Amino acid sequence: MNESPESRAKSDGKEKEPAATMQCFHEIRFHGRGGQGAVSAAALLALAAFDDGFEAQAFPKFGSERRGAPVEAYVRISTTPIRSHNQVYTPDAVVIQDSTLLHSEPVLQGLKQVGWVILNSEQPPVGASTAQALRWVAIPASRIGEQFLGRPLPNTVLLGALAAVTGWVSLKALEQAIASHLTNKGEDVVKGNIDALREGYRIAAEKQEQVS
Amino acid sequence: MRQLLEGSRAVVEAVRLCRPQVIAAYPITPQTHIIEHLAQFVADGDLPAGFINAESEFGAASVVLGAVAGGARAFTATASQGLLLMTEVLYNIAGMRLPLVMVCANRAVSAPINIFSDHQDSMSVRDAGWVQLYVESNQEAVDTVIQAYRIAETCELPVMVCMDGFFLTHTFEPVEIPEQAAVDEFLPPFHFARTLNPAQPMTLGGGSEPDNYLEFRAAQHQAMEQASEVIAAIDLDFGDHFGRSYGGLAEPYRLEGADTVMVTLGSTMGAVRDAADTLRGNGMPVGAVRLRCFRPFPAQALIHCLAGAKRVVVLEKAFSAGMGGIVSTELRAALHQAGMPIPVESFIGGLGGRDLTPAVIEEIFHLAASGKDFATSRFAGLDTGAMPSIEET
Repeated sequence: MNESPESRAKSDGKEKEPAATMQCFHEIRFHGRGGQGAVSAAALLALAAFDDGFEAQAFPKFGSERRGAPVEAYVRISTTPIRSHNQVYTPDAVVIQDSTLLHSEPVLQGLKQVGWVILNSEQPPVGASTAQALRWVAIPASRIGEQFLGRPLPNTVLLGALAAVTGWVSLKALEQAIASHLTNKGEDVVKGNIDALREGYRIAAEKQEQVS
Repeated sequence: MRQLLEGSRAVVEAVRLCRPQVIAAYPITPQTHIIEHLAQFVADGDLPAGFINAESEFGAASVVLGAVAGGARAFTATASQGLLLMTEVLYNIAGMRLPLVMVCANRAVSAPINIFSDHQDSMSVRDAGWVQLYVESNQEAVDTVIQAYRIAETCELPVMVCMDGFFLTHTFEPVEIPEQAAVDEFLPPFHFARTLNPAQPMTLGGGSEPDNYLEFRAAQHQAMEQASEVIAAIDLDFGDHFGRSYGGLAEPYRLEGADTVMVTLGSTMGAVRDAADTLRGNGMPVGAVRLRCFRPFPAQALIHCLAGAKRVVVLEKAFSAGMGGIVSTELRAALHQAGMPIPVESFIGGLGGRDLTPAVIEEIFHLAASGKDFATSRFAGLDTGAMPSIEET
């Protein structure tokens, strides 16, 4: 791990550039546990998509504002103004910050056919993709988070992975969103999160390469 | 410039642009972020106002009452039990005809305790003499706070801007924050004609006898009735200044040829628009009206909107226990008075944060269109099997 994730993400040269000129509507649902930052992740994704020129919306489902309790947050990305304030029931992608939620919460409920599952795990759960034509991306996001942030925070790693495989939002815009949204947490936090984001992006892009 | 902001953050940008001199509040979910952001602005020197973190909502309301009586532009915000704890002071503020603006981050009322959104809190104080404006989006919340100060200071009436807790307060969405110079042009500095002044002692809200209390109250009612025109005019003027307006008192949606028209309030309207579009696409002639101003009750505006409807269905997030829907009851009275025998069906839903999805709303449209039960209010999406009974416990 001597090479910086920055140089790798750049040398990759295959970053998908989302285009706000093409008609689109994406709904993303985040599942995490209180303290893992699902709500912040949703906000960062929406900020980035807005920066890319899309209409965007992010909001939390405040079920239980307790550390460790299951938390949901939602994002909509669209080329037309978003007027719904409903929760997201049929997401195009789910981001699962804690793989134990797979067994305790209906995290895949309503997920569209060929929807994306971005999972914080060393590998996809055995047999999990048989039920639906889902596209699994497993990233050891807590481990990477620990590496760059000193704490096992999977948040920005998973956002990088989501950006890499879906192309719905640009890496550059996510970096800017982190820089602006986390600015009051200090330079180290911003830099650590941007590095973690790039590493998540790089690994997911690589995995996708292997599949295709 | 359009920015992606959390609703609470957006609304405090609007408050700051209105240059309040005194802010007093007590934190309560889901209003808390509003107050935290304002406290931060004041602490950072970005808002030259006095900020008083009161010991209760009763205290907070009392502080802003005194501030306005002393000639200052003031602001407070609350929700749910906090609004109910303010109730006595709300009547005093209105009775003294003090032009104050507050944001109610609409939330359900206990018991059972529930932190999520419905309209029971603000609807419960509908008789207090405050103008009540319900907003659909965070952009409208921003714009309505600015309008609210003009309305309040023009009419010498307090204005409550009601924005759905969580659905709006905690949602990041794009908003245009107006320029300070444009707001200054739209909203002149506050000069309160009846400012308390020790040099010329005067009492506000002092003792009134049976021979004049009735007249004070009648004058208050008259002022509220006359506010309708002002509210509509200020929304139009806001449109001239900023390019955005919201239908004034009531905002119609796809009413052309609509047989069945839904009336609703607040952020639910987004889903109602989606549902109406779907049903229209299926050839079902439906439309909707968003009741933006609930107090004063805009009977004339509603009658105008509903003139072509064969049936009306009200979807509301509050009710009077033992009577039913509040808006539907008032709407029936207004239509009856106008000699318009349009059946009005009443659905109560979205209580305690339950999501009113386009699917639920489409079903309500279908039930209303088949129109059989216009006698009582019905609860949308009620699970009768889950209803507790005292005997069981």
